[in-house]
Amino acid sequence: MISYHPDSRFLTDFASANLPMAQAMCVSAHLEFCGKCRAHVQQLKEVGGHLLSQIPPVAVEAGSFEQLMSKISEPQSAPVASSLEARTIAPKSAKETYLPRSVRRLSNGSLQNLGWAQFGKALRIAPLPIAGETLETSIYDIKAGGQMPEHEHRGEEITVLLKGSFSDADGTYSRGDFVVRNAGETHQPTATQDTDCICLVCLERPVRPRGWLYRLLEPYMQYRLHSLKRAATAS
Amino acid sequence: MGNKDETSGNKHSLSKGASLTADPWEAALHKVAESADRSAFQALFEHFAPQIKAFLMKGMSSYADRSQAEEMTQEVMIKVWNKAASFNASKASVNTWIFTIARNTRIDFIRRNTRAERKIEIEDIWHEADSPEPIVDFQQRRVEVEIRNAMSTLPGEQALVLEKAFMENKSHNEIAEELDLPLGTVKSRIRLALNKLQILIDR
Ligand SMILES: [Zn+2]
Repeated sequence: MISYHPDSRFLTDFASANLPMAQAMCVSAHLEFCGKCRAHVQQLKEVGGHLLSQIPPVAVEAGSFEQLMSKISEPQSAPVASSLEARTIAPKSAKETYLPRSVRRLSNGSLQNLGWAQFGKALRIAPLPIAGETLETSIYDIKAGGQMPEHEHRGEEITVLLKGSFSDADGTYSRGDFVVRNAGETHQPTATQDTDCICLVCLERPVRPRGWLYRLLEPYMQYRLHSLKRAATAS
Repeated sequence: MGNKDETSGNKHSLSKGASLTADPWEAALHKVAESADRSAFQALFEHFAPQIKAFLMKGMSSYADRSQAEEMTQEVMIKVWNKAASFNASKASVNTWIFTIARNTRIDFIRRNTRAERKIEIEDIWHEADSPEPIVDFQQRRVEVEIRNAMSTLPGEQALVLEKAFMENKSHNEIAEELDLPLGTVKSRIRLALNKLQILIDR
């Protein structure tokens, strides 16, 4: 059962399309699991629809309708219409039907297509590069029973559980949960014993010091993720 | 007869009945879908195109020459023509359906004009047609009528933040910055407004 949902700020900014794409991806992934939040987003869109109907109109140019109809009768405008559903990427295997549409798109239908960096025995991370975003978006794969290193958040972090479950000192999170951690919070998530845990993670990372301390702390991890990200962006 | 309980018990069915006759544009859209009816489409165009243009101009001032609003309005109306058959009257009003298309066209436009991600389709994230949920649909049309009625009773400061979010393309953070308010105040104004509109989000 889903117990953690995006709050009114995330849902409103999503429905009005004012979230950075990486965060919108996280809300959208949650919506694919959660009918209740889907209904809220639908209601919020009704607010948009109502406000649109109240807006002081701005006249279109003379001849605009005729120009439009001539575009519509051009043959190339037709195929665009029918391809909406066809354009979504199907999962490569039945095992990966849980992947949200956006992740399927960025991974060409399978997580196996992503570049993974292994950290210890329990954790591997695949960056999902989103051009033009300062947020870092990745897929985390934590082995059943595996524990992540304890870490402190430097910025807001959104985690959407796509598969399996994990727990930390604050609670247990399962499929579909949308978990937000704020800067300064520390936690050490542990995946449940019986199954691997796959998460979509979006991390706000303020500019960090490049000094010796930073380099001492997690150089290998940063280096690996960086080179993977560069490789993925180049392809 | 006519006691308090009965009145509140009738609320759902009354609201639902009202919503079914409330949308004059459904018939026009159906004609477009069924027979590519040009005059029905022209009526839709004359009503909605000036609203769409106004909406696009409000939301994209910082990204583009406003003259592009005209072309984008046509882009939105082409989608209305092409997608008319996918309109589902039990899910949303025509206003809302067109708002969604205009909103997605606007994001796509902003994306084309910045160095944003192009591989992902806007509709991979902002799905236009979510899977149907019967219970949700029923509540949906009820809420729509309540929204329409309650919107006019909102205090000015609450109506303003909704206007900025949905029409001016501003996030909570951007609204807070513009109005020089703490983020928490913007959030609580929006929440209060949504509660009055019977949109009851947990947090
Ligand atoms: Zn939810």
